[in-house]
Amino acid sequence: MENLIGGFATVFQPATLAYCFIGVFLGTVVGILPGLGPLTTIALLLPITYKMDVTSAIIMLSGIYYGVAYGGTVTSVLMRIPGEASSVITCLDGYEMARKGRAGAALGIAAFGSFFAGTVGVIAISYLSPPMSRWVLAFGPAEYTMVMLAGLALVTYFSSGSRLKAVLMAVFGLLLSTVGSDPLTGSARLTFGVFHLLGGIDLVPLAIGLFGISEVLSMALTKREKMKVLAPPSSLLGFMPNREEFRRSVAPVMRGTVMGFLIGLIPGGGAVLATFVSYATERKLSKNPQEFGKGAVEGLAGPEAANNAGTAGAFVPLLCMGVPANAVTALLLGAFMIHGVAPGPTIMERQPEIFWGIVASMYVGNVMLLVLNLPMIGLFVRILDVPRAWLASVILMVCLVGVYSTNSASTDVLLAVMFGVVGYILRRYGYDLGIVILAYVLGGIFERSVRRALAISDGDLAIFVSTPLTIAFAVITAILVVIAFIPRRVIGPRTEKQTALDP
Amino acid sequence: MSFSGARRTALGLLLAAVATFWQAQGLPRWGFDGPGTGIFPQVLSGIAIALSALVLLLERRGPQTLESDDNEAVSRYDLAEPAQRRVFHFYLLALVLLVVGTWWLGFIVTVAAVIITIMRFGEGVSWRATLITAFIVAAVGQFGFGWLLQVSLPEGPVDRALLGLMRAAGML
Repeated sequence: MENLIGGFATVFQPATLAYCFIGVFLGTVVGILPGLGPLTTIALLLPITYKMDVTSAIIMLSGIYYGVAYGGTVTSVLMRIPGEASSVITCLDGYEMARKGRAGAALGIAAFGSFFAGTVGVIAISYLSPPMSRWVLAFGPAEYTMVMLAGLALVTYFSSGSRLKAVLMAVFGLLLSTVGSDPLTGSARLTFGVFHLLGGIDLVPLAIGLFGISEVLSMALTKREKMKVLAPPSSLLGFMPNREEFRRSVAPVMRGTVMGFLIGLIPGGGAVLATFVSYATERKLSKNPQEFGKGAVEGLAGPEAANNAGTAGAFVPLLCMGVPANAVTALLLGAFMIHGVAPGPTIMERQPEIFWGIVASMYVGNVMLLVLNLPMIGLFVRILDVPRAWLASVILMVCLVGVYSTNSASTDVLLAVMFGVVGYILRRYGYDLGIVILAYVLGGIFERSVRRALAISDGDLAIFVSTPLTIAFAVITAILVVIAFIPRRVIGPRTEKQTALDP
Repeated sequence: MSFSGARRTALGLLLAAVATFWQAQGLPRWGFDGPGTGIFPQVLSGIAIALSALVLLLERRGPQTLESDDNEAVSRYDLAEPAQRRVFHFYLLALVLLVVGTWWLGFIVTVAAVIITIMRFGEGVSWRATLITAFIVAAVGQFGFGWLLQVSLPEGPVDRALLGLMRAAGML
């Protein structure tokens, strides 16, 4: 509790509070804009945080991550356009409620449900992280290796599209992390004679290229259409659900919160999967499943809570183990590394102000989002009117500033553009680029763990299955990799039908 | 064997994996104190070769839509209208200018060139609006990022002249 109070003391410093606000505000804006996700935004803003202190930087970037979950709801409810992948499910019943004249109630239920789930999620982080960190402290290099391997396998398993392609992207992400100097001996590897690559490929050009520049290219091919927006309420009272809607939303919010948080803890799980699982659960438990897709309160409340709780849950493996649960938390891990901080079991002892500052900022950020969102929805919706030409120009300028400022090197700009074009092509053919970033960020730690374990065992691979924990993770990894090689049409039709919820 | 875009992409990945494997072969697999520099890249590039060959074999031949194509929200070039493709080509040109400009022209000229290419030639926005946007974006970049946030920006003759003028006017 003392530590948490210390965290609040950090957050309530004016500058940190301002960064927290900037983060959640940007997150909301990005959540509203279709196409621009948290990955792109965090990648673009990563270099700007170089001059900031680490706590403020992570607080701002985290604010973007959980702010997106709120922003995505607005366009889902009012326009049936998910601003972000985790808001896809909200389109179904949220938009139908809005069409029936209950747009305010839908947005209100989503906002209060999200606030409740986000707050419970942060409380869970506060209480779960210390014992988990103590447990992780006992891990040796073999345990770390197997945890990371199982994490990567889980991420590829839950990825969109072909799992085989997802595994391939994970391998390429790991390969990219090996370019440059060997982390243990310092000798050069895979530089292809290019002097600039001796220092390795930086996270910023890679992330900005794969997400920022490839997104600009994708935007260029998008048809310009005037989007139809249902009117949001003009007063705060308009956001209040009626008694019946409130009663129907309570239990789904509770269930969504618990499920979302637990799924968020699993690598590859995160907010997107949490919303789908919550929706499927609510429909199964409902006495009127035929109402789902036609404006069922439960179909909105549960997934919205799960979305925010899942986002909070994804912070636990990042902060306690230094293992990101998804691509966005991988970028946050990258931000930690850029600032010379290694998140993991020792962070609470060595740098408690960072850990508890981030946790406290999430409490504050959730309150900010609630206060910010409801009265300003009308204003946020107008962001969608910004023409593509302006948006693309600004994004490219931020890309240039971000990439060049990393090392003051024009070669980095060339690399980012190359990654952008390759990223666009790979996305076009169904390759999940989030996995590349996740594997790239994990690559250095993963390689060190593998080599240390092999050095301890004198090259004996049995060290990776020498304890019950490593055996458990090895079994999980093996099962998931085998599944990756089975074509989706053989094992997937049932799952696809369940997820294709669009009525 | 017919080569669709999907197969060409898989082939590209296979070639990249082979090139990496070839580079990694020259690295020591085992050193006096344990695993060497090359063990990780060698194993990974070997796996990458196997996986990308498998994707190449399993990838469809024709241009028909595959379920996985629609999972990523990316607009497709082959389905775009000619007008949209034209815009796309100007965006690609803007990226080339971004790289070339960073090397030789500095921040202000690069930003102006990129914005004019995208807005005026690509999107057909009026000259006036284009130039105002270019001016605002270049000014925000130069003063907001370069001066206020002390972020390093590419320097060219125009940037140096502007900085010189500001120093002469006692603003820096």
